[in-house]
Amino acid sequence: MSELEPQQNGVDRQALTKQGPMTSLEVYDKYGAMAYGIVLQILPQVHLAQEVLVSVFSSPQLQACNSYPFSFAACIIKLARAKAVEAKRKIMAIAPAADSITETDASPQQIFELSFCQGFTPEEVAGKLNISKSEVLRSFHEYFKLYRNA
Amino acid sequence: MGTQDLIESGILEAHILGLANQEEQELVKQMVDENQELADYLVDIETDIMRHFNGSAVLPPSKLREIIHLRSRESQQKGKHNFNNKNTQDNRNSTKYLDVEVNDTHIKVHKFWRPAFVAVFILSKIFLITGLYYYFKTVNQDQQIEKLKIEMQQIK
Repeated sequence: MSELEPQQNGVDRQALTKQGPMTSLEVYDKYGAMAYGIVLQILPQVHLAQEVLVSVFSSPQLQACNSYPFSFAACIIKLARAKAVEAKRKIMAIAPAADSITETDASPQQIFELSFCQGFTPEEVAGKLNISKSEVLRSFHEYFKLYRNA
Repeated sequence: MGTQDLIESGILEAHILGLANQEEQELVKQMVDENQELADYLVDIETDIMRHFNGSAVLPPSKLREIIHLRSRESQQKGKHNFNNKNTQDNRNSTKYLDVEVNDTHIKVHKFWRPAFVAVFILSKIFLITGLYYYFKTVNQDQQIEKLKIEMQQIK
């Protein structure tokens, strides 16, 4: 199975351990599919998502991931999200959409969706859902706990 | 904040997802440095988060790899070039390099050339019309002279 394909069960521990500096292409080969999936979750428009993906892997910030204190994958996740959210904000500035929050569902899934995919900060999500910021953060823990147990 | 409290607070997840603020990031770094149990737990969370996103991974089109390759090579060359320029500037401050890339087939001139070209065009038309006028006038005069000469010869 290619490393680009979704992994069925468990993550290669080696992927999480520190390795020597990787080139953009090596990083792309390893995490390109994951980053593209993340970008598509935030920006469903395929062409825009592809542009963002290129900007992620040709960004000088990518080299900073080599000295990132945690795993490379975590750095890629952050970078891909940041770039996609930035692009989404630019689009929203040109063509503002109606407020996407219509219900006050404060489930961990909804909170994760708002924070990670919609690009709201935990403070903004807390304000929109009328809950405290600590509840928002706790929801992230719950979300991945549910995922782990699923 | 105790280890268990920190784990349940969700700050670790927020940190990995890039949703934590500066203060929370500093807290996580400090706690992880001090607490091996927390460091191990962080690796577990990273594993879960990576597995989560790998589950929704999508293979990008193959052409993107080539584009990324070209872009990263370009930026590397630019970086090298900037570095070389910096060195050169250190050695010779008076020397400046200017990269000019032209990929069109047109030349560009100053905008003042436009009235000059218009003036030359109008003057050329005036001279042409004047030249034609005098040419036909001369031809006509020559014909009349010839005609008069013939008439005079006939009268003689």
